Amino acid sequence: MFGATLVLALLAAMTACSAGSSVSVPPDPDAISIGFTAEPANLDFTRTDGAAIPQALLYNVYEGLVKLDADGKIVPLLAREWTVSEDRRTYDFRLHDGVTFGNGQPFTAADVKFSIDRVKTEWTISLKSKMDVVERVDVVGPAHARVVLKRPSNNWLFDMTTRIGAMFSPSGVADLATTPVGTGPYAFATRKRGDSIVLRANPSYWGRKPTYTTVYLKYYKDPTALNNALLSNGIDVISAITTPDSIGQFETDTRFTVLQGTTNSEVTLSFNNAKAPLDDKRVRQALMYAIDREAVMATVAANRGTLIGSMVPPTDPWYEDLTGLYPHDPARAKALLAEAGKQNLWLRLRVANLPYAVSSAQVVASQLADVGVSVSIEPLDFPAVWLKQVFTDHDFDMSIIQHVEARDIVTFGNPKYYWGYDNPKVKSLLAGADTGTPEQQVTAMREVARTIAEDAAADWLFLFPNVVAAKKKVTGLSDNLVSESFDLTGLGRR
Amino acid sequence: MTTAVKRRTPTLTAGAVLVGLVVLVALVSFIWTPHDPTRVDAAVRLLGPTGDFLFGTDKFGRDLVSQIMVGARTTLYVGVVAVGVAALIGTPLGILAAMSPRWLGEFIMRVNDLVLAFPALLLAIMFGAVFGASTWTAMVAIGIATVPSFARIARSGTMQVMSTEYVLAARAAGRSRLVIARRHVLPNIAGLLIVQSSVSFAIAVLAEAALSFLGFGTRPPTPSWGRMLQESQELLAVQPRLAIVPGIAIAVAVLGFNLLGDGLRDRLDPRLAGRR
Repeated sequence: MFGATLVLALLAAMTACSAGSSVSVPPDPDAISIGFTAEPANLDFTRTDGAAIPQALLYNVYEGLVKLDADGKIVPLLAREWTVSEDRRTYDFRLHDGVTFGNGQPFTAADVKFSIDRVKTEWTISLKSKMDVVERVDVVGPAHARVVLKRPSNNWLFDMTTRIGAMFSPSGVADLATTPVGTGPYAFATRKRGDSIVLRANPSYWGRKPTYTTVYLKYYKDPTALNNALLSNGIDVISAITTPDSIGQFETDTRFTVLQGTTNSEVTLSFNNAKAPLDDKRVRQALMYAIDREAVMATVAANRGTLIGSMVPPTDPWYEDLTGLYPHDPARAKALLAEAGKQNLWLRLRVANLPYAVSSAQVVASQLADVGVSVSIEPLDFPAVWLKQVFTDHDFDMSIIQHVEARDIVTFGNPKYYWGYDNPKVKSLLAGADTGTPEQQVTAMREVARTIAEDAAADWLFLFPNVVAAKKKVTGLSDNLVSESFDLTGLGRR
Repeated sequence: MTTAVKRRTPTLTAGAVLVGLVVLVALVSFIWTPHDPTRVDAAVRLLGPTGDFLFGTDKFGRDLVSQIMVGARTTLYVGVVAVGVAALIGTPLGILAAMSPRWLGEFIMRVNDLVLAFPALLLAIMFGAVFGASTWTAMVAIGIATVPSFARIARSGTMQVMSTEYVLAARAAGRSRLVIARRHVLPNIAGLLIVQSSVSFAIAVLAEAALSFLGFGTRPPTPSWGRMLQESQELLAVQPRLAIVPGIAIAVAVLGFNLLGDGLRDRLDPRLAGRR
C-alpha cells in the first residue's frame, strides 16, 4: 500500500512539474498568451527585488514620464515633451492631458511629485537610491512638473525609463503586492500564483489602444514545458528561450518566427569581494584565468550569446572589447593561487535553481577543479531563497545569476551591493560620468568597465542571447531586449 | 511448514542478476570509469554513441557511461541509508508495539499511521527546503517515510511469534522481554524484514530519482540518474538518448530490487511457504 502511495505521489509530482501552467488559451483573436520562465514573487517592485515584476508590469500597467524604445533611445511617454535647463539640473516636463489611472483618478503633476517623493520614503529595494539625486519636485501646473536635481545627472533621466520612474496614484498604492494601479494600456485583472497573470486592456487608456485586449502572462518553471506550450498551441509567444539547444526545433518549423538579438543580461559569476578568500584580488584573477568562457557559452548557450569581458553589453555607448584581458590559462591561475597561498581552496557556489545557472555552475566547477579549486554547488530556490540568502544576507562565495537591468555596471559603485566591491576610484569615476557631459560620460564609463575587469570584481561569463519564438501571426516583437519591460504595446496581428 | 522450500525461483535469479549488475557497476566505478564523469568538455558535447563514448555525451560533453556508473553508486548509497534508517527505527518500534501493554502499542501504531499518511515526497521536499537540498536530506527523508512499513511488518510478525509455545515457555521460565525479543522474535521475523528491505530499496531508488529530478536530491555535479533525466529534459525533442539511458538504468535497478524482494518472499515467508 505504501509503495503504491509513493509511486502515485511520484507520478503526480512529475506530471505536475512538466505540465506547468494550466490555464487554457481561449480561441479569442483579441487575446494573446505569452510564456515566461521566472515568475514574480509578488506584484510590488517598490519593495521586492527581481526582474520578473517590471518585466510584466512596466510600460504595460505602469508608465513613466519617459520610456526606452526598441532601439534603446529615451522617448516621451506620459510627458509630451521636456526641456532641460542650462545647468542641466532642472527638467520641465509637460504632461499629456486626459490621462487617468486604472482606478479612474486623473494623472496630474501632483502624481509626479507623489511618485518621485515616494521612491525615497516608501520604496525598500536597493534601486531606490537612484532617486537620491532629486532635490525636489515642483508642481508648476496640473500638466507641468518641474524636477530639480542636486547635481546634473546623465543617469537620472535614463533611470526614469525604468521601474524607478513608474507613476503611481496616491489612491492606488494601498496594496501594491496584489493590486497594481497604473496609467498603462493594460490593467491588472487576476493572478494565479505559480501559474499566470491576466492583464486586460484599460478601456479609458489615453494613448493608442493595444491590439490585444486580453493578455495572459503564463509562467512555466520548466523550459521544456514552455517550449511544448508553444508547440502544442498553449501559448502564442515564448518571451525568451532559456534553453538555447532547443531553439533549432522552432527555426525549422514554418508555423513560427524566431528572433535573435542581444539583451542586457550579463550571465555573471559573482564573487563575494568583501569576504575571504575572494577579497584577495589574486584569487579572483586566478579564477578568471581558470575559466574558459568560450566553453561556458558553448555548453550553456549553444554558442548563441556574446562574450563581453566586463559588465557592458555592446549596445551601450561605452562598450569596449575586454574579452582578451583574461585568456584561458590554467597554469597562470595555479601560479596566482600559489602566490596568494590559496592552493587548497574550497568555495561555495550558491546559484539560483534556474537552468542556465545550474548548467553554468557545473562548467565553472569542472574548470576550477582543473586548477585545484573545489567548488560545492548549491542550487537555491529562485527567487525567494536566493534573494534572501545571497542577495540580501551575502551568504555566499560565488553565485551565478543574470544581471538583467540596463546599465547595471553602476552597482559597482555601491559597496553594499551583494558582491561587496568597494573601490573609491570606481566610485569617483561613476560620479564624474554622471555629472559630466555625454562625452565625458563615455570616457569615464569606459574606464570603470576596464577597472572592474582588471580588478576581477566579477566574471562576466557571457551576454545572454534574446531569442523570441512566436506564432507567425504575432507582429511587433523586437530582436533586442533593451528595457526591463516585456513591452506589449507594440504587438500586432497579421 | 514441513516442506523446506530451498529451491531457486526464476524471479529470485533474475532479481539477483539485475541487482548484482547494479552493485558490480557501482563497485567498478570506484576504481575505473571510461572518462571523468564530471569533467566538462565543450569540444565533445552532444556526441552520439561512438567507440570512445559508448552511449555518447551530454550537453556538457560528459560521458554518459561514466555518469551512469557513478550514478549507480549514488543510487545504492541512498537505498542503503534510507532502508537502514527505516529498518533501524521501524523494527524496534514494531516489536515494542507488539510486546508492550495494549495502550502503548496502540499509541505507537497510531503515530505510525500518521507518518504513513504523510506523502513521502512531500516530506523529502520539506526537508530539502528546511535543511538545504542534498543527498543526505533525501536519504533521511525517504528513510523516515519508510519507517511505518517496517514497523507494521515487525509488529505483525512479532505478534505471531509471541503466541507460539516456545515464547510462552520462555516467558514462563522468567526470561526478560528484551531477551525474548532478541533470542526468539528477531530471528523469526528476519525473513520478513529482508523481503521488506528489498522492496523498500526499490521504492527508495525511485524516490531518489524523483527528488533529484525535481532538484531536491543529489547536488550537481555528483552524477545521479534522476538529475541526468532532469538535464535531458530540455533536450528531449533533440536528443532522446539522454533520457533513455538513465531511464533504463532506473528501471533496471527498480525491477531488480522488486524481483529480488518477490523471490526472497517466496523463499523466506513462512506463510507463503506453508501454502506450497
